[in-house]
Amino acid sequence: MRVVWVGAVAVLAATAALALAQQTPGIGWISAGATGVLPAQAEYPTPTGRVGLLLSGGPVEMKGHPFFTPLGKNGRACVTCHQPAYGMSFSAEAARDLWKRTGGKDPLFAAVDGANCPNLPQEQEKSHSLLLERGLIRVFLPVPRNAEFTINVVSDPTGCNTSPIYGLNSPTPTVSVYRRPRMAANLKYVTNPAPRIVLKLGALSDTDPATGRPVGMNFMADAREATLLTQARSAMMGHGEAQSVSDEQLQKIVEFENQVYVAQIFDRSAGSLAEPGGPPTLGPAAMAAHRPGVLGDNDYDSVFLSFESWKKGGASTQEQFRASVARGADIFMFRQFWLRDVTHINSIGLGNPLKRTCATCHNHQMTGQDLSAGFVDLGTTNYPRWTEPPLYSDTRDLPVFKITCKPEAQPHPYLGRVIYTSDPGRALISGRCADVGSIVMQQFRGLSARAPYYSNGSAKNLRELVDYYDRRFDMKLSEAEKQDLINFLGVL
Amino acid sequence: MKLRGLAVLIAMLLVMQTAAAQQLNFVACPIVRDTRTVPCFIAEYEGETYYLAVQQDISADQYPPQLLHDVLVEGTLEKGPRVCGGIPLKPVKLSVLPEVNAACNTILPAEPGIEAPPTRRPAGPSTRQPAATAAPAAPVRLTPPFGEREWKVLYDFDSAFLFSRDTRTVNQAADYAIAAKAKRIEVVARRGATLLSNGKVLVEGEAIAAQRAERVVTLLKGLGADPASVNVRVVSAPPQPDGRTDPESRIVSIRVSP
Repeated sequence: MRVVWVGAVAVLAATAALALAQQTPGIGWISAGATGVLPAQAEYPTPTGRVGLLLSGGPVEMKGHPFFTPLGKNGRACVTCHQPAYGMSFSAEAARDLWKRTGGKDPLFAAVDGANCPNLPQEQEKSHSLLLERGLIRVFLPVPRNAEFTINVVSDPTGCNTSPIYGLNSPTPTVSVYRRPRMAANLKYVTNPAPRIVLKLGALSDTDPATGRPVGMNFMADAREATLLTQARSAMMGHGEAQSVSDEQLQKIVEFENQVYVAQIFDRSAGSLAEPGGPPTLGPAAMAAHRPGVLGDNDYDSVFLSFESWKKGGASTQEQFRASVARGADIFMFRQFWLRDVTHINSIGLGNPLKRTCATCHNHQMTGQDLSAGFVDLGTTNYPRWTEPPLYSDTRDLPVFKITCKPEAQPHPYLGRVIYTSDPGRALISGRCADVGSIVMQQFRGLSARAPYYSNGSAKNLRELVDYYDRRFDMKLSEAEKQDLINFLGVL
Repeated sequence: MKLRGLAVLIAMLLVMQTAAAQQLNFVACPIVRDTRTVPCFIAEYEGETYYLAVQQDISADQYPPQLLHDVLVEGTLEKGPRVCGGIPLKPVKLSVLPEVNAACNTILPAEPGIEAPPTRRPAGPSTRQPAATAAPAAPVRLTPPFGEREWKVLYDFDSAFLFSRDTRTVNQAADYAIAAKAKRIEVVARRGATLLSNGKVLVEGEAIAAQRAERVVTLLKGLGADPASVNVRVVSAPPQPDGRTDPESRIVSIRVSP
């Protein structure tokens, strides 16, 4: 059975590269409850070219399919936030366009979490500013019972964390943070099982409640759900406000998600990204064909394989662009810098600082996630290294919390016992002070389709993403090197 | 007879003095000394520079310290050439102290003539070919007869974190207990203290032994050890430190009895 499947994927991979180039444009934004067929291969326009989508199990009839059908009272389906045309996530620009087209009536803007807070006037655009400007969905969580810290609200621009109904002092004390929806594609990589003991925790990994097997803890920002199935249930009950979801519906959702592969397929400057003899990592067919669980932090079988065929350059604009992409791949793999003050990287015995490269952390071949459970505190949500203005009490539009570690707790390894944060990340699940700001890293594929970046949507484009890393790690990238990295990331 | 006894006493004192002179325990900011390859970690104490560690990876025997933290150094002076400009200590136990110290933030640039010792991994991606990094060997099949065995986990000062090397130790104990169908697994967790070379005594936090026990027991049980067989003893009274064997006081021992 396994041989048949592998063979089928191989055949599909071999033919898809050619077939995708001939695809007609995709069908754009898919509303919950849509009918019709989602084709097995499709391309959708992005600001820099086209993103490709490949369904390894063949076309899918959307009518009645639980991924595409509203199961709850607010009219949302999974597809509301996981749009094929937007890398199985969505962009802030797409959300703004949807607001204009629907007058804010699309279920994406549902009060429960498509607004900055449910108690705001829902018809007003400013009540949905975080979704429209940063592509953020409200995630509301209780403070863990075992929390090693106390949490106070310092700044609350959305009003939700100080709300007597929805806030920390409500009858059900709740913390509201705001996060980007992750791409629901290439999931065989993202859900690759972890070893039983998680290196970063010095403890056992979470397990699949159905099988007891260890799970990768790598597919949500805070790794709070163990499996796609538990995530689907939680999402439908929470984001979708469903009263119940059947096991059969959940199975169909997961079955669908597991066959979706997404990667950039065409770039306006580089041309076709999935042509014979080109870099073997590019295009969704490569994502479908490759095997997960390969550590790419090495110089013989690297994270995004080889870009050697594009290195030769040439006189044409296309050749020069391709050479720039290849240089960007080399910067990603080989450019050394001081990797420092990153919880769950520097703190696990590697030393602080660590003279390494991007690939040290972004080491899972084909996706650039971490092969180990991927939550690290890069710093995007914690003062002073966050992506926000340099004043701890003012992130303008995001809430700010003051976390105070209890005396017996191990402090945050680089911020100590008092931390100002716009999103405590994993700490809202683990309750550990050391985890404040730790967030699971995301895959690097289909980026062009789904700006903005980082879990808080703070990088409007790849330039801002690269600039943050350059500042954060004092990488001293030249303008040309930044552009090489941007070009490289843009074709993945 | 009296003279002989006096000679023995003098000899013993000389040995102790030599031993004391060779042992060095101190707290300092680590300093990163860059080189043309991987960085070294050094520290200054009483006007002298000591070599502590070099950047490696998670499989290394010795983990480097961390900037933004003081390091507790408990080591023995080693005769031989300087390493990265510092006097080497061997053996040496390095503990990253948990509280943040922003003053520990010095990175020295690479200088001609200062070289890092050889390491298995360079600063960039790994260069070890698949043969050297192949999948872990198949687990050793544990077969009878099974006798009583003990494993020890030694900790950084004031830390209950189980590093990769430590979880391997606990895993071995769990595997053995399962194979031997252990009737009793005795976990003893202790809180340590350290005598510094300047005469000061450092004592770990009161809750640390209990935290160590909790983490090890959770791991043992999660790995399949019979919960009913696990007995835990937490020794929260710190020992009298001697300045020589103090790292061994920060310990969890796991004794498995079939």
